Amino acid sequence: MGDQPGSRRKAPRPVTTYFFELPITIEIIMFTIGKLAGLATISTEALRYYEQEGLIVPDAKSDAGYRLYRPESVQRIGFIRQAQQCGFTLAEIRELLALRSEQAACCGDVRRLAVEKKLQIEGKIRLMKSMSKALDKLINDCSEESHPVVECPILAGLEKANIATTTGR
Amino acid sequence: MKLELFYSPGCVRCAEARDGLKTAAFEIVADLDWRELNVLDELDYAVQLGVLTLPAVAIDGELVFTSLPTQRQLRVALSERCKKVN
Repeated sequence: MGDQPGSRRKAPRPVTTYFFELPITIEIIMFTIGKLAGLATISTEALRYYEQEGLIVPDAKSDAGYRLYRPESVQRIGFIRQAQQCGFTLAEIRELLALRSEQAACCGDVRRLAVEKKLQIEGKIRLMKSMSKALDKLINDCSEESHPVVECPILAGLEKANIATTTGR
Repeated sequence: MKLELFYSPGCVRCAEARDGLKTAAFEIVADLDWRELNVLDELDYAVQLGVLTLPAVAIDGELVFTSLPTQRQLRVALSERCKKVN
């Protein structure tokens, strides 16, 4: 993913082209990591982490060796953060980004990933609900708040559960 | 015996493999109860079985394949289930 030593792309220099024989100079805008982080409202550490995870790659390096990014990177970071908020892991986001740039991919591929994420979330909700029910039971068992702590039914219940888990009962 | 294929609507892989798998399954269990379940319509049931990836296959209410099996894998799984039942 990263640049190979000796094959670093240099920062693009202004390109001169001709329009009806008139020379036109096009300046290619590139952002440093700090500038990109500011525009995407994200920390430079998070950006480096995304880079480490292969989610974002610098488009070039300056003569001094600084990472440089094209303006489209701001949009890409927005996509990553939005997907994270929807519960996608970085590995899943990498898959989504790959699908986005894959010619043969179709909306059904993305939909399948979204449905799988929904299944995972629903599974977690189910687990959390059963945990909440177990806590309800413990809370109800402890109706006497003035009990000394050694007689606390919540601690005793947790201790019992711990013994059952470690002994496989 | 009941086989449930959980799929996501629009899943090209599921549609492509379905006919071959169905033929292979009926070769092993002639009176198989073959069901195709849109996971979005049967979300609670899919979650209950532990379906996390698609397509997935459950046999007699037990999740057996978390990805699309080959025809051979499905034949083997069904044969084993037959042995268990009989």
